[in-house]
Amino acid sequence: MEYTNVIEGKGINKRYGKFVLDIPSLEVPKGFATALIGENGAGKSTLMDILTGILLDAKGDLKYFGEYSAKDRENSYDVKNRIGYVGSKGYYFPQWTIREINDINKVLFDNYSEEKFMRLLNELSVFPNGGIDLKKKNSQLSDGNQMKTMLAGVFARNTDMLILDEPASPLDPLMRDVLCQMIRSYVCEGNGDKSVLFSTHNIADMENVTDYAIIIENGSIVESGFVEDLKEKYILVRGDAAQQEAISQHLYTVTASQFGFSGIMLSDDLDSIAGTGVVTEQATLSQICVAVMRHNTKLDYCPVI
Amino acid sequence: MIISQSSGEPIYKQISDQFRTDILEGRIQPGDMLPSIRSLAKELRISVITTMKAYEVLQNEGYIVSIQGKGFCVNAQDKEMLREQHIRMIENSLLEAIKSARIAGMSYKELKQTLDYLIKLDEEDSK
Repeated sequence: MEYTNVIEGKGINKRYGKFVLDIPSLEVPKGFATALIGENGAGKSTLMDILTGILLDAKGDLKYFGEYSAKDRENSYDVKNRIGYVGSKGYYFPQWTIREINDINKVLFDNYSEEKFMRLLNELSVFPNGGIDLKKKNSQLSDGNQMKTMLAGVFARNTDMLILDEPASPLDPLMRDVLCQMIRSYVCEGNGDKSVLFSTHNIADMENVTDYAIIIENGSIVESGFVEDLKEKYILVRGDAAQQEAISQHLYTVTASQFGFSGIMLSDDLDSIAGTGVVTEQATLSQICVAVMRHNTKLDYCPVI
Repeated sequence: MIISQSSGEPIYKQISDQFRTDILEGRIQPGDMLPSIRSLAKELRISVITTMKAYEVLQNEGYIVSIQGKGFCVNAQDKEMLREQHIRMIENSLLEAIKSARIAGMSYKELKQTLDYLIKLDEEDSK
């Protein structure tokens, strides 16, 4: 499959005390929804802050839309206009009202649609009783509604790329579904020209909108690729205790109970477990992510119940 | 088109299977355009890459062709090939039946009798 990248990164490096974000090579494909997946503290937000220019002192080279450098992004009005960002920390001042947020967006961005902003506030039911309270202050909104207001603000602009940091976290399941539809519509209506990069630590909710996955663990990318390719690379196996013993060396992760086990392994290793009679099926993206993360984590998993 | 998230069958396969059936049974005619990858993804609420994979499977099997800048259209089907495909589908169904018969402890003779009986029933129905 042929594709180009909307973001390319080389030698991205940022150190915070003991934590080091070290990404020799980064690719975000153009025209797709890419998920940045990792545990809390894995470096997702740090990477997004570097990509959006919130953090400016990281090492490395970045290229946007195949032609602009990080310097161009900082200095060019045009590049900034094409990128939308929503962060988990919030950037509308607490005392701003909905009216002021709308006015400021209008001043800041060329291609901002007031009509779309209001429509999205409705679709995301920021005001559950209908209507829009323009005098409502940002600080009076719940965490979820503050996130929705930021999302409405960024989706109301005509951009070519969205960078969304943990957009789903403060949302309820119903609104996560609406968010997925918004991301999908954005990518689909862009007809190959619009891309989304979003981070999440809860991939199960976002699985059906994810085209490309980047799994990050302790500051490094441990796996990345198109979801359908990852689903061919890894496979879910099930069997009983005896079979588990026979193939344990090939398993990335195992969940065992007294009735049997299920685990994730590389499809390439299937030959070496032939004849053991285990059952295989396609893994979901979340199962693959958990397996890859556990395989690479430095934390010791000892669940205490 | 019906997509099940929990059937255990990969979603791309569910899509390609349904299009294949529609093509083989003539519901979609040679020359007809398939929905664009992105509009189908939006309609079915699945990721773009999954739809791409479904179309790739159909393209590799020769059911559809990509037309530069326009999308995918149903390939002119070879009558011989269509028949071959149908025969393969029949063989697969019969193999399933044989497997089930073995599990149920049914003899081949009984299985054949069942098939004869079903054919007879079907003939009576269609009269």
